[in-house]
Amino acid sequence: MTACTRNNVHIAGAGERAMMFAHGFGCDQNMWRYVAPAFEDSFRTILLDHVCAGGSDLSAYDPSKYGDLSGYADDVVEIGRELDLRNATFIGHSVSAMIGILASHKAPDLFENLVLVGPSPRYINDGDYTGGFTAEQIGELLDFLSENYMGWSAAMAPMIMGNPEQPELAEELTNSFCRTDPEIAKAFARVTFMSDNRADLAGVKTRTLILQCSEDIIAPFEVGDYVHRHIAGSKLVIMNATGHCPNLSAPAETVAAIRAFV
Amino acid sequence: MPRSDQDTSGAPTTEDLEDLYENAPCGYLSIKPDGRIVKVNATFSAWIGWAPEQLIGKRFLDLLNTAGRIFYETHFAPLLRMQGFFHEVALDFQTQQGKSLPALINAAERRDSEGRHLFTRITVFNATDRRRYERELLAARTAAEAAKREAQELRAVAEASLLDERATAALREQFIAVLGHDLRNPLSAISGGAELLLLRTPLDDRTRSIATLIQRSAARMAGLIDNVMDFARGRLRGGMQLENMSDAPIEAMLRQVVDELQTSAPDRVIRADIALSASVTCDVRRIGQLASNLLGNAITHGAPDKPIRLGATTRNGRFELFVANAGDPIPPAVLARIFEPFERGILRGSLQGLGLGLYISSEIAKAHGGNLSVSSDAVETRFTFRMPLEPLDLQQE
Repeated sequence: MTACTRNNVHIAGAGERAMMFAHGFGCDQNMWRYVAPAFEDSFRTILLDHVCAGGSDLSAYDPSKYGDLSGYADDVVEIGRELDLRNATFIGHSVSAMIGILASHKAPDLFENLVLVGPSPRYINDGDYTGGFTAEQIGELLDFLSENYMGWSAAMAPMIMGNPEQPELAEELTNSFCRTDPEIAKAFARVTFMSDNRADLAGVKTRTLILQCSEDIIAPFEVGDYVHRHIAGSKLVIMNATGHCPNLSAPAETVAAIRAFV
Repeated sequence: MPRSDQDTSGAPTTEDLEDLYENAPCGYLSIKPDGRIVKVNATFSAWIGWAPEQLIGKRFLDLLNTAGRIFYETHFAPLLRMQGFFHEVALDFQTQQGKSLPALINAAERRDSEGRHLFTRITVFNATDRRRYERELLAARTAAEAAKREAQELRAVAEASLLDERATAALREQFIAVLGHDLRNPLSAISGGAELLLLRTPLDDRTRSIATLIQRSAARMAGLIDNVMDFARGRLRGGMQLENMSDAPIEAMLRQVVDELQTSAPDRVIRADIALSASVTCDVRRIGQLASNLLGNAITHGAPDKPIRLGATTRNGRFELFVANAGDPIPPAVLARIFEPFERGILRGSLQGLGLGLYISSEIAKAHGGNLSVSSDAVETRFTFRMPLEPLDLQQE
């Protein structure tokens, strides 16, 4: 199986330059649906699902490989190599921002631009560092997630995952976007919210744009500012968009900010 | 509103949409695209403990607990934007009094004719009991899964230790086989040396008797090693392998065995009565080994002053061989498992050594499609081996 199959990679658009979009925790490549098409006229757009989400091959889920963000970064590098990417632009939302940074350390030639949408190198407060959450709150989140995966059952999974020739089957189901196996989703939540990648910021050599939303409780302003201060030469843009997903709530503003940078 | 729709108390007698909104048995909220509340009904206001005017302008997610807020930002808001609705979401509100209000909510976006998002409508169902029940179900499922995992782990450990035990047993048997093999070479040097002394050197009586003793002991030891190796090999290969030949020279073999045993025990009387009229297909070396074991046994355990008898016949399509001696009868408890190898029974502690001789002999009998039986009383102890003239191929049975 190729990395592109494993990660359900979809390629569109035309152009010499490539732009890779990586989704954050809670969703899949669908969350770029209002942003990625805007770049198809001048970029080859590459959309992927991490192995834990969307149409990725969940049988490839290996708890030890994906026990930290490095395993996900390896996948990004592998996809880049498979598509022979050089000097591409990586756009990572939420936890994928850190995955992009790790990938840029592993393969410095892969990306010339990093666009970090709502990045956080650490979600849990630590001494003087404000991540936004306490360890207890993250623990509650992990428990709570189970309560909202009631709709996922073993009987439904094949309908959602395995019927590309009958998409109407999936569409009949409510909440059919961004579904995945609850156990894997919980593991990804744990990896995401327990991660600490502060030490990886300093060595970033790639041009970096940070898109910081107003009123983002997942990645508050202090966190975006921390990332900005620790990545030399990075550019910080404070958006009018509120919440954690400007790619969905304010696609026009997001597209404009990315376009101005690349 | 027409007067006819109201009774004297002022309450509406027919359905009133405004009242339905305000006092519906569920909470209604409308939030703007930026997540702030623009409208809320009286029911939700009463549940959460905040007045409607206090709620207007608040962010919806500020009414949730921390886990709910993260879920809202990572799942609820994105999904609403993508599919326009989100049903059956479990969320915990924080009431004005600081209590938790577990709820189930449905949400749908209201869009204009061009698809622009105007606001989101949220319906809230107080679901304290249902959520508690669901939590209990979840906890039970988690516990069941943990128990299942634990059982699987235990089984894996048990299987691993069984494999380990089998590997140890195989190693032990291999070790015995190698040991037996390595013992043979020095033993044949000892035995050959004693034989040379006896044949070629003039010896005084005392030295001659010592050389004879050395030779006999070496021969007995060679027999023990054969048994040990047969035992190990039989276990390793799952049974004794035969080199059968038709019309085997059984009589010659039996006479040779009797001579050897007689030489080793010159004081004892061994009477052989061999009367074979039909040809037998067998591994003649093995039959010799069986006879040697039985005779050796009789010499060791039999009454020293009484003769040992060996008889061999072919009758009724069968080959029969017996060895009988006088002496104390074998106790019933020992008799019951006399053909078992040393490791299964109590070490018999006989002069014979490891106690493998009878076990090997019975294996030889089985390999030939026959059997070895024993009878023992005050008159005599008799071992009898019977086999078909043409041994059955056990695997074809």
